[in-house]
Amino acid sequence: MLMNNNVRNSQPGFKMSKLKELTDKCEHLAFDLNFNAAKKWKAEKENRVLVGYMPIYFPREIIHAVDGLPVGIMGGGDRKQIVIGDAYYQSYICHIPRGIIEMALSGHFTNFDGFVFPAICDVIRNLSGMFQMSNIGKFAKYIDFPQDFNSDIGGEFYIQEMNSVLSKIKEINEVELTTERLNHSIGLYNKNRQLIEEIYDIKQAFPWRLTAVETYHIVRAGMVIPVEEHNRILEEVLYEIRQDIGEPLDKIKVVITGAFCEQPPVSLIKTIELAGCYIVDDDFMLGSRWIQGDVDNTTDNPLKALSEAYLNFSTFSSSVYDIGNPKSKRLINLIKRREADGVIFAAPSFCDPALLDNPTYNKECDKAGIRYINFQYHENIGQFKVIKEQVGAFSDSIKLWA
Amino acid sequence: MNESIYTMGIDVGSSYIKTVLMNYSDTAIQILDKHIEKIRKRNPATVAEESINYLLEKNKLTHEHIAYLASTGEGEMVARKKGHFYSMTTHARGALYLYPTADYVVDMGALYVKAIKIDHQGKVMDYKMTGQCASGSGQFIENISRYLGLAISEVGDMSLKSTHPETPSGICAVLAETDVINMVSRGISTPDIVKGIHISISNRVIKLLNSLNANGTIVLTGGMASNTGMVQTVKELAEKANMNPENIVAFDDSIFAGAIGAAIWGGFRHNKLKLKAMAEK
Repeated sequence: MLMNNNVRNSQPGFKMSKLKELTDKCEHLAFDLNFNAAKKWKAEKENRVLVGYMPIYFPREIIHAVDGLPVGIMGGGDRKQIVIGDAYYQSYICHIPRGIIEMALSGHFTNFDGFVFPAICDVIRNLSGMFQMSNIGKFAKYIDFPQDFNSDIGGEFYIQEMNSVLSKIKEINEVELTTERLNHSIGLYNKNRQLIEEIYDIKQAFPWRLTAVETYHIVRAGMVIPVEEHNRILEEVLYEIRQDIGEPLDKIKVVITGAFCEQPPVSLIKTIELAGCYIVDDDFMLGSRWIQGDVDNTTDNPLKALSEAYLNFSTFSSSVYDIGNPKSKRLINLIKRREADGVIFAAPSFCDPALLDNPTYNKECDKAGIRYINFQYHENIGQFKVIKEQVGAFSDSIKLWA
Repeated sequence: MNESIYTMGIDVGSSYIKTVLMNYSDTAIQILDKHIEKIRKRNPATVAEESINYLLEKNKLTHEHIAYLASTGEGEMVARKKGHFYSMTTHARGALYLYPTADYVVDMGALYVKAIKIDHQGKVMDYKMTGQCASGSGQFIENISRYLGLAISEVGDMSLKSTHPETPSGICAVLAETDVINMVSRGISTPDIVKGIHISISNRVIKLLNSLNANGTIVLTGGMASNTGMVQTVKELAEKANMNPENIVAFDDSIFAGAIGAAIWGGFRHNKLKLKAMAEK
């Protein structure tokens, strides 16, 4: 008889205690819908400002450089009951704006100074209008991103958009942006992305060391605390997961895509893992990983450096015009780089950008012989049985028949 | 690979946990031992661990002897598993073990009934299942037997004594349970009530099979397949639906089908991973 000499220490709950402590802290931060950590940070020093930003990407560096804390607003998820929000949106609109307006009108954003609405879709555009009409915060800025990737045209336009946000903050705290300060902020966020990327690289090789839910909490926590503090947490997490902890389970490796704006409930992420998948890459917190590589933090014109980084080193997304560098090809490259067995297209219900991209993605996966499944969710979905069955069957089909 | 390994399959259901210890090689599969344990309001994770330990100790083995411990059903309750397989996948393979030329499987569990079309390798080709209504499930029979003061083991034989079965009017479990209370007050005999419930559930089974155009051998698995009255009723209704009742089979081990399938697929995966690792070297 053959013997399996592995010591199986992969029971649920088995984690190095330090790692557990860190992930618990991050979970608490990530889902504090009253943003107490951010508000506490603001109260500690005069002239500090809180600027909320919606998904997907926003150059947080510019807020950081003028004594501000950019705070990611990802909706109420399954933790906020919608009472008022439904009156603002038709039934055929996605769920995230309902949660955000509900939070705004029920006082969750008290002490926030302003809000930025990056251009993703018409729904977010309308949400910015609702914030303006309801006088929530001192400013509500809808920021357009260039769809022309020429530096002289799209790049200049983008710099103007960033300056417009900066001028609104200056009106509030009178802090002047300097080259040194912005370069310093860019350096901190470069470090932040490097650390997050290293976590994903370790997860690719050893996905059992950190679950997808824990990863999600860790990355999401960074949206509501200063980048310096988040970098410290990430370094501590990395120290823990560089150790040989846990024991692999027989699961397939998948990439999840489509969930870049309205976030899936944590139980959905957990369901996918329980159904037999290791999630080795995802676009849940895409904004935190948007720029691929470092932004130059040694120039005399750091705003231009940010602009160039956006034009040339952005990841792919449904909200970005992609002529010349098709997102479907980039997705295939990501799946191959992560050595994933398949891809799960998980899009929020009524999310036009994600759902419109799905046929193109599916076609490209067919051509590349990559297995995939599609399903839809909304942020407060409570029933996962059907998804569990679908993902379970997907996992088995790859394990047994691929 | 012809090396013989120990594998274990554990099927965590909502009422029972079924565990199978298997001797597996690519050319021979043999069940060495099996164990079934009712959960009875205990923590399923604890019951699962105890079930595994029970079989290991009984067979003088340790965890390290098990090459692959595979879960199915509520797999998150099994702490020491190596891998998990979806219940339809395991019931399909388990049915094929029980009856090597099976074409269809009907998994009659505590919460759902699933009709599954399979190929000769145990691959799921198509399936249909009941909705979330509890009236098509084994749990429903358990509830009714409790109302009638019967042990679940008595239900099957009681049903066979029926002469004038009385079926509940509604398909909803809540309404059906109300119906049963009315039947008792109207003096309907216990065998006739139980048979009526079996007919109600069997009707659903036949509908599922019809929607798959089932026309081959059908293996009944899951807890309800151990109920002789239920198996008999499914056969009777199949005949009325112009299906051959001889093609419907159930076995003493039908309730273990999920665990058997998990243990077999576990062995299959173990060898596949081993070959992959050797190829990578």
